[in-house]
Formats: sequence, C-alpha cells, structure tokens
Amino acid sequence: MSDEVKEFVFKIVVLGDAAVGKTSLINQYIERSFEEDYKPTLGANIIRKDVFVEEINASVRLIMWDLAGQEKYNVIRSMYFQGCVGALLVYDVTRHNTFETINSKWLKDFKKYVKKEGTYILIGNKIDLTDQRMVSAEDGINFAKKINASDYIETSAKSGENAEKAFENLVHQILKLHGNIK
Amino acid sequence: MPEREMIGDYKGEVKNKIVTALFQAYLDILDYDGLKSILKEAELLELKNYKGADPDETLDFFSFKKIITAQNCLLYNCSDLLFAIGKKFSFYLFPFGKKFEDVIEEINVLIKTDWNIQILEKTKKYITVRVEKCFFCSEIGISCDLIMGFLLHSIEKTLPPDKRVDYHRTKEDIKDPNHNTFVVKFKSKKK
Repeated sequence: MSDEVKEFVFKIVVLGDAAVGKTSLINQYIERSFEEDYKPTLGANIIRKDVFVEEINASVRLIMWDLAGQEKYNVIRSMYFQGCVGALLVYDVTRHNTFETINSKWLKDFKKYVKKEGTYILIGNKIDLTDQRMVSAEDGINFAKKINASDYIETSAKSGENAEKAFENLVHQILKLHGNIK
Repeated sequence: MPEREMIGDYKGEVKNKIVTALFQAYLDILDYDGLKSILKEAELLELKNYKGADPDETLDFFSFKKIITAQNCLLYNCSDLLFAIGKKFSFYLFPFGKKFEDVIEEINVLIKTDWNIQILEKTKKYITVRVEKCFFCSEIGISCDLIMGFLLHSIEKTLPPDKRVDYHRTKEDIKDPNHNTFVVKFKSKKK
C-alpha cells in the first residue's frame, strides 16, 4: 500500500421526521453526549468531523447535514441536498408513522434531489424504549431490503448504542460505492 | 472586539453592517441552526446575537475571515446555496437598492483588507467587473458563487422589473490559487 494519505470530503444528510432523534444521533457520534430536552432543529444543523479510515489509509472529512424535519423547510430543501453522496434515513421504532414516511417522503426527497448516485442506510432509533416499541427489527430489516438500503442499523441516541457504527458504516458504503474500498 | 495588530492576509477591518447583513442572509437560507453551525465551526459562537451591534463599529478582519472559512468548509459543494446567500447578502446590505457604482464603492470601504472590486466598463447592456483577491473564495477548491450572487443581485436591483441579468466569465479553475482574481461580464436581458 502507498504511504500517501488519500483525502476525501463527503457531504451526507440525516433525514427523518421531527423528533426521531437525528440531532441526538449526531451529538452522540461527535460528543458522546445526550440531552433529554427536545429542541427542534431550525433549518440545517451542519457539523464537520474528520475521520481516518485505516483500511485504505484515507482521511475523510465528513460534513453532516442534519435537516429539520418540519414541513416549513420544504421550499429550500432541494438546495440543501446539493453535493450530497449519502444519507442516514432515521425513524423512531416507537412511532409507526415515522417508519412509513421514510419511503413516502424522505427517500423520495433523497432520490429526487441527489443527482449523483448516492447510498443510504436505514436507522431504527430509540431502541432503549423497549416497552414502547411499535416497529420490530424484522420489519426494519425487510424494509431496508425493499428500499435497497445498504444496511439496517438499530440505534439508541440516548445510550449511544451503534451511533458511531451508523456513521462509520455510511462512510464505508460511500467509499465502496466510489470504488475506493472493496 | 479588542483591537489587535493584524499582519499579512488577515489585516483589516469590516464594518458591522457587513457582518449583520451576512448573518441575516445565513438566517434566511440556513435558519438559526445554520448560522450557529457556521459560528461554532469558526469558534466564534459568541457572535450569534450580533444583530444589535452598532453598524458603524467594526469587526477585525481575522475574525470575519474565520467565519467565511467556516462557511466554505461546511458549505462544501453547495454552489447554489452560496449563490443564494450572496444574493441575500446584497439585499440586506442595501435593502433599498443603490446605483451599482455606489455599491462597488461602498463594499470596498466597508470591508477594508487586501482586496478590490472595480467596474472596468459600463454600457447600456453590459457591465464588466474585475474582482481582485476575493476573500470570500480565497481557498483552493472554493468557487466564487457568493460574490457572484452578490454582484448579480446588486445589478438586478437597479433594473426595471422586466429585465434580468446573465453573467459570463472565463471557466473558473478552482485548483488555481489565484482563481479569486477574475473578470466577469454582466449582461441585462428581457425576462
């Protein structure tokens, strides 16, 4: 392997209904912290994280766009997707309607606005709320296959379970899609 | 902001009305969390309530450049958004419109650093502008969409409502370290 470090910049979006835990997932990934108070994202919360992928000796700058789940941003939303190469499609396992809008709204938006080929992972969040669960893991897995998602990952933004895995897996899938990784 | 002695590329100062117009443009296009994201990346989150600052006071250019660098980092590959921010920036800086010559004169005064914008030629149909050392896009890999949006909107505002503006410039090579010095020709057309 060459000693030269390859450099990449990837813009990704985190999509899903309001209050499914998009911002909390990012906070867990970046700061390993969780806030109990829900503060809706206003517009776009944009965060940078530099990661190193040892497998291919590559430095990846990840620009994460955490987009507000509210309807009021629909007009400008198309511009937010420009240059995007991947997405985390997040639903809340305790609210079935958030699972349904993945296909009817969020994936539709991603396919409509992302001109280049993009990759996406389905995320079932809030698995710590076991006794309130409305969407089973099996339904999630089957749905991920149906919509051609690269993977299905269950997360808890509260405990931090799989938060890092979700983002690292997406980086891996993007590198794979562009032929940089086998 | 305390006064600091600045050197080289970061020497200069920026009138607060520039900063507040730019922040208002961020708010319109990216909303509150977008503005906060840029300021956080610039490590200047304390400026988030800058709106009430005295318009005649100044911000040091080093801090202003940190904001622009953070913007360019987070808005990587977002030329449409940068262009839209540039248009809004023009709108908030000169809300009632202004003669284009006055806009150019004023922007050079409001942002004092090693850069310059000048009108090379102005006819009934064309305006040719030279932008030298544009700090909005001085990084390699960053296109000059923000300043183009700003100039285009500033010209459009001086035209009758049935006219629009197109622009032409030689192909931009964003890998060239001098890509932030360029000439652009604006042409007014019927809508």
